[in-house]
Amino acid sequence: MIVEIIAVGLVVSAFLAVYLDEAVYSVASLAVTLALTAILYSLNDSSFAAVFQFFISTGTLAVLFLSGETLTEKQAGEKTLRKLSFGLAVGLVLSIPSLVISFPIPSIKSSVPPFPEVLWGLRGVDVVLQGLVMLTVALGIAIVLKDRRRSQID
Amino acid sequence: MINYIVLSLTLMAIGIYGLLTRSSLLKVLVSIELVATAASMNFVLLASATDRALGEAFLILAFSTDTCVTGIALALLVVAAKRYGTSDIRKLAQIGIGEIVKEKKEDGQEDAVINA
Repeated sequence: MIVEIIAVGLVVSAFLAVYLDEAVYSVASLAVTLALTAILYSLNDSSFAAVFQFFISTGTLAVLFLSGETLTEKQAGEKTLRKLSFGLAVGLVLSIPSLVISFPIPSIKSSVPPFPEVLWGLRGVDVVLQGLVMLTVALGIAIVLKDRRRSQID
Repeated sequence: MINYIVLSLTLMAIGIYGLLTRSSLLKVLVSIELVATAASMNFVLLASATDRALGEAFLILAFSTDTCVTGIALALLVVAAKRYGTSDIRKLAQIGIGEIVKEKKEDGQEDAVINA
């Protein structure tokens, strides 16, 4: 029963994250979505994934909250309560298919390597991706510094 | 028992709806996050259903690319908000087209001066 409630909450909060106009409410809904995802992972015996999801989403949300509050303009839309109730209703309707539709997942019978062994086998990919993260951070800093330099020249 | 494939499909559909309809750069970023979450949910929950650790390991690697996407989008958001005072992608597109037209006009004038 608890998994079903989490699934409904996941879909409703995801829809609200996209639907609400105010950036802070939108990011708060995304925070609920990511927290419920982490709980869903932990209920499915994927504790490593749950912990990683929780920590990574905490960092992402902190940055999104700050940028949402400081960098985006306030939109004068409809009344938030009305939008919230409409979003809740649509989210509830959207969550019905995942509760009603069911089809079996084929089971794969093979030798199952443990999680650390699998992760160690993928260390080459991990190194490449970590390098990609560093390059991206460098690119982001370069974009901001270039813009600052251009504004100083102007 | 819920169907995780349908659940992740629903999340992905909501993310794509956000990508198609929202014009704020922050909302686009939120929609991208939702699509990425839906994709990684398939890895983890199907891996859990079939007793395989590979999906969980892939999720941890997928976080790296997810972080890259967030970093680039946030850098774009900061630059757009500081330089143009807006984070609306439609307005930014109009500004971009306007700047290209302006540059072309300036180039045309320079060519005319050179020809004369």
